[in-house]
Amino acid sequence: MTPISSATAGDRFGRRGFLTSAALGGATIVGASALGALDADAAFAAPAPSLDPAVTETSFVEGRIGAIRGGLLTAASSEGETHRVQLTNATSIWKARPTTADAIEVGDGLYARGVPMPDGSIAADAVWVNIVNLHTTIRGIHRDRFYLSHGNHELVGRTIPETAASYAGGALTSDLSRLRIGQAAQVLGAWRPADDSIDVVRVTVGH
Amino acid sequence: MACSTNALWAGETTWFCCGAAWGPCGSAGGGACGNCRSASNHGAWPNASQACWDITRPDLCGEGGIARRGCGSVMRVRHQCTGAAVCITITDCGPRTKSWCGEQACCNGTCRVNRVLDLTPAAFSAIGSLSSGKLPVVITE
Repeated sequence: MTPISSATAGDRFGRRGFLTSAALGGATIVGASALGALDADAAFAAPAPSLDPAVTETSFVEGRIGAIRGGLLTAASSEGETHRVQLTNATSIWKARPTTADAIEVGDGLYARGVPMPDGSIAADAVWVNIVNLHTTIRGIHRDRFYLSHGNHELVGRTIPETAASYAGGALTSDLSRLRIGQAAQVLGAWRPADDSIDVVRVTVGH
Repeated sequence: MACSTNALWAGETTWFCCGAAWGPCGSAGGGACGNCRSASNHGAWPNASQACWDITRPDLCGEGGIARRGCGSVMRVRHQCTGAAVCITITDCGPRTKSWCGEQACCNGTCRVNRVLDLTPAAFSAIGSLSSGKLPVVITE
């Protein structure tokens, strides 16, 4: 992760300039970079800030991805707008884990943060694909999945190699055996559009 | 209330979705105030009303003095270590502090304890990474 507390104004302008020039120049897409500093588990487990402060004035968009052309994502927002998000070699990409642009698919949901460009697109500093962070109740526990309720809806949460639990504010552990039916559980994971289930990255329960 | 620097509270913030959205968030609705939107800089406050307080109960975690701030209240939320900040409007009730008593978010060796604020993805991502799930923050108004 990039230490950022000592960033200077010069750093900020440099970062902003880098992002915009990369977008305007049609930069090669290489996926998550050290500049973006968005490793999910590191951000959670290590007590360190995760935002690159170089991007001081950000734009944010959400939506479903309708087209992918090179590094340009076109997304239809839930409010009916169309957004264009330009990936660059400085863009951090998360889809259940830090990943690269080739993991992004049409139909995925997206949250994107970045720098607004003159043509109305956004040069992305960070893109989170299908990420959800849900307040649920555990209704069932199986070897490779959870049955969860979220509001009035039922959800299936699938365990993946990265799945970890935090108990009563404690550190992350791969031991899921202390989860109990009926517990309130915060679930951070990645939605699967194909079957509406969730790949569970982290499940957090209280006392 | 303005987005200013008068101390209000400090603690842990998490994020949630609201309004029209994709995936399981599509059923989240507009929150207690009816106008919450994931792509706007909005937040949920545990004492947005008495009915809200009765649900969130931060006092059960030792956070008994949180002031009443209803729909439309404006707050400034600052990451305690990076200084990154965002101005938000309260549009919902939350988080359910009582379910997570003692939970911590730390940076540079200093921890904030107990969930006292929920942010929309837009607001949370303005000061940190969504994949971190929680952040230590200082809240002013």
